[in-house]
Amino acid sequence: MTTANDVLDALQSAFPGAIQEFRVESDNRLWATVDPNKIVEICKFLRDEEDFDHYSGAAGVDKIDEDLFEVTEILASHGAHPVVALLKVKTPRDTPSVKSLTGLFWNADWYEREIWEMFGINFEDHPGLYPLLLVDDLVGSWPWRKDFKGYPDYNTNERVLEKINPDGYAEYKISPTEAEIEAGTVPETRPEYPTFREREIMELETESEMILHMGPQHAIVPGPFMLDLRVDGERVKKAYLDVGYIHKGIEKILENRTYIQGIPITDRMCYLASLSNNEVFCGAAERIMGIEVPERAQYIRVILEELSRIQSHLLGTGEFLSLLGGATFSPFQWMILDREEIISCIESVTGARINHSFVRQGGVRNDLPDGFAEMTRSALKTVVDKTNEYKELLLSDNIYRKRMEGIGILSPEEARRFGLSGPPLRASDTPYDMRREDPILVYPDLDFNVISRKEGDSKARVEVRLDEIIESCHIVEQCLDQIPGGPIREKVSKKIKPAPGEAYYRVEDPRGEMGIFLVSDGSDKPVKVKVRGPVYAYMQALPPLLEGAYVADVVAIAGSMDACTSEVDR
Amino acid sequence: MGISDVVPIPVVIDEELEKWTVWGRPLTNIWLTTTEKIHEIIDMGPIKNILNWGRKNSLWFLMQPMGCCGVEMLVFGCPHYDCDRFGIIPRATPRQADVLIISGYITRKYLPAIKNLWGQMLEPKWVIAIGECAISGGPFYDSYNIINNTSDFFPIDVYVPGCPPRPEQFIKGFRELQEKIKRREDERGY
Amino acid sequence: MVLSTIVESITDFVVQEPKISGLIIGLIAAAIIASVINVGAMGVVWLERKVLGDMTNRFGPCRVGTRWGILQLVADAIKLFTKEDSIPRGADRPIYVWAPIVACITTMLVAAALPWGALNIGGVVYPLVAVNMDISAFFVEAALSLMAIGAFMAGWASNNKYSMLGAFRGMARMVSYEVPMGVCVISVAIMAHSLNIVEIVEAQSIWYIIAQPLGFVIFMIALVTDLGRIPFDQSEAEEEIIAGYVTEYGGIRWGLLYFQEYIIMLLGSVLLVHLFLGGWNGPVIPVISILSPMIWFLMKMILVLVFLIWVRGSLVRFRIDQVTDLGWKWLLPLSMVNLVWAVAVGVYFA
Repeated sequence: MTTANDVLDALQSAFPGAIQEFRVESDNRLWATVDPNKIVEICKFLRDEEDFDHYSGAAGVDKIDEDLFEVTEILASHGAHPVVALLKVKTPRDTPSVKSLTGLFWNADWYEREIWEMFGINFEDHPGLYPLLLVDDLVGSWPWRKDFKGYPDYNTNERVLEKINPDGYAEYKISPTEAEIEAGTVPETRPEYPTFREREIMELETESEMILHMGPQHAIVPGPFMLDLRVDGERVKKAYLDVGYIHKGIEKILENRTYIQGIPITDRMCYLASLSNNEVFCGAAERIMGIEVPERAQYIRVILEELSRIQSHLLGTGEFLSLLGGATFSPFQWMILDREEIISCIESVTGARINHSFVRQGGVRNDLPDGFAEMTRSALKTVVDKTNEYKELLLSDNIYRKRMEGIGILSPEEARRFGLSGPPLRASDTPYDMRREDPILVYPDLDFNVISRKEGDSKARVEVRLDEIIESCHIVEQCLDQIPGGPIREKVSKKIKPAPGEAYYRVEDPRGEMGIFLVSDGSDKPVKVKVRGPVYAYMQALPPLLEGAYVADVVAIAGSMDACTSEVDR
Repeated sequence: MGISDVVPIPVVIDEELEKWTVWGRPLTNIWLTTTEKIHEIIDMGPIKNILNWGRKNSLWFLMQPMGCCGVEMLVFGCPHYDCDRFGIIPRATPRQADVLIISGYITRKYLPAIKNLWGQMLEPKWVIAIGECAISGGPFYDSYNIINNTSDFFPIDVYVPGCPPRPEQFIKGFRELQEKIKRREDERGY
Repeated sequence: MVLSTIVESITDFVVQEPKISGLIIGLIAAAIIASVINVGAMGVVWLERKVLGDMTNRFGPCRVGTRWGILQLVADAIKLFTKEDSIPRGADRPIYVWAPIVACITTMLVAAALPWGALNIGGVVYPLVAVNMDISAFFVEAALSLMAIGAFMAGWASNNKYSMLGAFRGMARMVSYEVPMGVCVISVAIMAHSLNIVEIVEAQSIWYIIAQPLGFVIFMIALVTDLGRIPFDQSEAEEEIIAGYVTEYGGIRWGLLYFQEYIIMLLGSVLLVHLFLGGWNGPVIPVISILSPMIWFLMKMILVLVFLIWVRGSLVRFRIDQVTDLGWKWLLPLSMVNLVWAVAVGVYFA
């Protein structure tokens, strides 16, 4: 098995002198600062020679003390080896510019656009550097830079100017903050680019084509995003996706909260996976602090995360079925009913239905209540029985199969190229699961299968989720049998101050690979938190997947992805 | 304006007719009526109570999930909580909805869209702000992209606190809105 | 004494002025039918919400008007009547306004020719039908398809992309299912030697569901398609094209279109009962023998309605190309087979 040292040796022999600094954190984490001019060649080498075919994302860090921007490219492999390479590129703060990786990795597009709009770092050779999450007003003020004056912002609504346009629709302009005006940092020249609407209208070809807007408010969207389809009759010619309608700036907010205060914010990144989000945020801090979580706490985390996976999959599948059969489709409502049982199990521990804020750095908040095991076992039994029933039902439903089979097929190569993870990737014959690849907590001690399917269509994606529910039930039952006694939280001082350092920690969210890239400078607040969410990758892969489908299939494909807009926008 | 302006009759008759009243209003006002006048008349009589009874028992809300509360909104319509008991059902198009549920953070980018949704809804209509984010920005109160105070933009009738509120609290919010409609104390005066 | 005088004078009037009296009788019948179908549709909506609720572990309406929620639909109707009336900018105003009215006319046309049960007076069964036409089966089937015209007008006039897609889908669906449905009606007529629904019912000593089961299945599928209900509700697929052809409709205009759908559902189930389930035929119930046919008729109708609701609660929606595919490639040939079968069996028994 390749380890981080092997990769480092290969790199150093292939590119002598290009690796300016390096740090081998463990067998599967390699940190390296590389020559900005050679980043593309190095990534190409890693991709082609060392099997780093999974581009996990990129993070920008504003090092205002050193007058530098740092862009970290996160590379991993789809199952060939467990090494994650984090390659840092430094660029001066006054003329920031980095080479784009879009030529190598298809899915680098969105990550680089995000860094551009937030930091103003230019990406050379990027095909379309348009804003992704931000409203056009804010582009040019680079909100994630440390010297951005518009944060904290308590009076947005007082500065809103309403204007009714000739069509009778309201438009809003928001004047700059007082701090910005005082500091004189109101951007005078904003970058010029065609807006989202203009871009899609430019591509209209014939008279018979039209743009069909699905969103921001539409029955298929689980949260506001705009899916625009260029259709000819019922046939989709091309799809365009505009996200950022609920961009809250969570990463910026986390930089200004202490580590404990940050936990409730991470809940809200994806409200169906809040326990995994807690876990990934706390786990990253634990990596830097170098503390080991007590075993009982690890078991509690695993139990709750798996329960949370069950409820998320039940809701995701149920919501998807409601897209196919209407809100009155009975299995959808039964699934919500089953979910309530799981929710009440989780609630008995955390006290909340969806936003738990339960995991702490060094352990968990409180112990399991009395009678939890019995309650959970009986709930799991119901869920397993019912899930088997749903599987049988969907398998025997001819209309359902007619609608779902062969729709939105993703070949394994394509799925990897799109940077997918979680159920959509596993449905495409790639058993890639963080619980196996990057083992954390007590997962190595547990016995479970990684579910995968060969077909790669919408039906397979739903089947993977249903099978995972059963597998998760199995894991929880094992944990309930094995859970030892003992403390539930390591002794950690009330004011958490990790030593200066960086960590990249990833877990298997219900939707796939959830990673947090955390930079600490020794203070009680993180310098930078970058969230690498799974749904971000799904959404990016959606437009190419929808090309050539029918309008009705858009629902079947987009729904089977089980997207969570909140996590895309953050 | 008198009837003689519309129908060719002697002005004398017109003057006579203007003396006649119904519920303290000139009869001509009722004959040559406009929508506002009909509303004025309805407002006075007991018929308004019947209308408000119908309205309060048939509050259809717009399916418009925005955040964490959107998930609870979905559960609110499903077994266990079952909003259909109260005659509350979700609708997908704003034209057929009566209640706009602001179920999360309104961002700069989404503000025009949600304002247009509100404009497309037909009167009588109400807004319920659900969750801390919709009330005051919630945990994201200091974000650069969030509109903190939703009530500056929408005439909000009921605030349901919680982050997110439980589905039971959704029901309570709707019950309070029903009470307000019944007592004619809602923001827009229906 | 006074009564007989009144009856006498009415009889005289009818004899002397047949045209005027015919008009008055027609208006009265129309009023009765309009109220019956509208109240009936409200009942259907209520039934659907209750039955669907029961299927999904819910209660359905249970707060407004006793614990059965019987006043729920009254509240909905009051609200819809007092909603703001709006016509979107850019809409084709006359067509937009006329679409719900056309839909209403359609339902009235169908309802006029359908027998609404029967009464057993002294051993003779009198069907309750407003217009007893000779070709009523054919007329009803033709008038049912007019509903698609109303829907198409609504979708076209709304100036909305979703509406237009919904309208096109509705039209494509109607075209592909009207033919098999018509062929099924013809098969029934051949077997009964009549196109008159009353005579078809009377001819069913064996219910036609037993005499031609294939025809029943095809007619049932085509009927669900005509009603535009899941799995054939492509024209208003809420999750794909918002509300389809009624996306821009609100208030009572939408209320009318919405109620027409349920009225059509009611009428469709009545037609199904008459054509295949023996209408009001059934053993005479003692004591209330006068109401006996009516009770059988209502029981069968409610059974069909519950079946339609059951289908809605348990199936997913087809895609539009699959719908037309099923219509042209499967139902049409099969309905021809059924026609041949009906002719053969009809000749044999005749």
